[in-house]
Amino acid sequence: MNLFPCLKLRKLYQMTRRRFASGGDSIRLMVADREVVGHGINGRPIYFDSPDCPFPAIRYQEVNSKLCALREKELDDWKNLSLDEKKQLYRHSFCQTYAEFQHFTPEWKICLAVALWLVSVGIAISISMKTMLYGKLPQTFDDERQSAQLRRIIQLQMNPITGLSSKWCYQENKWK
Amino acid sequence: MLSITARNLASALRSSLVGTSSRVAAVRCLHGTEESAEEFDKRYEKYFSREGIDGWEIRKGMNDLLGMDLVPSPKIIEAGLRASRRVNDIALAIRWLEGCKDKCGDQKATLYPYLLEKITPTLQELGIPTIEELGYDKPELALKSVYDA
Repeated sequence: MNLFPCLKLRKLYQMTRRRFASGGDSIRLMVADREVVGHGINGRPIYFDSPDCPFPAIRYQEVNSKLCALREKELDDWKNLSLDEKKQLYRHSFCQTYAEFQHFTPEWKICLAVALWLVSVGIAISISMKTMLYGKLPQTFDDERQSAQLRRIIQLQMNPITGLSSKWCYQENKWK
Repeated sequence: MLSITARNLASALRSSLVGTSSRVAAVRCLHGTEESAEEFDKRYEKYFSREGIDGWEIRKGMNDLLGMDLVPSPKIIEAGLRASRRVNDIALAIRWLEGCKDKCGDQKATLYPYLLEKITPTLQELGIPTIEELGYDKPELALKSVYDA
């Protein structure tokens, strides 16, 4: 079965597929000169720090001459690298260390604040609607009428197995 | 006439049913072979120590391993470190160490010193610093807010 009988259409389809396999031009523009070093989480050249996928598809920093010199030095024995150079190389590949991206931040405060704020807006809306928008309750909400309704339900023996009338003793005319 | 047809039909049905059930058994048999821990370790050790492995494959293997519900054994960790040495990527080695430490979860106090003790010779041989030497066991830099950039 051929999805695209026309050759031109098929070519166009293949071209767009190839083009958007890496997320389209916008992602490629953002990647710029960064080295694509792996598959990452979904094959797109995007960077993020996460313990689920600790090795993203691209290096975090763009290459510059200083880093290139360091990379050259990295080809030799790593014992010749100073601790600072090792850190620089790490930051070249990654943005944050595990300790940094797993650090507990006080962000929960703003989350809680926004949630409570939204709740208070909801309460304010419901109060104002109660006072300003809705009229009086209908007369069927009067106590008299409600008890009359209850009496009628019992007289008609509605829901006699598990419902209201099952709680009423018809011999002694009172609640069980 | 009818009885013959019925008998034929019944036998055909039975044979088809038996056929299916035996096929199901065969499939289950294939899935049932469980890999032992040693075989698993050996498989990944072999994966990382393959000649001509590149950064993509190393990252794939490490991402997979760190996504599993296990702590990589010291041998796998060593193989991973040596693999990153072969592709000349020290950042990869440090990140791999960090990932393995993170996999210890709430057993960091007992498991991590054991792992470190086992892999220390390799670390010294390759010149890879431990996370503590780098100071990466605690947050080093704060991330600049995107609103200040």
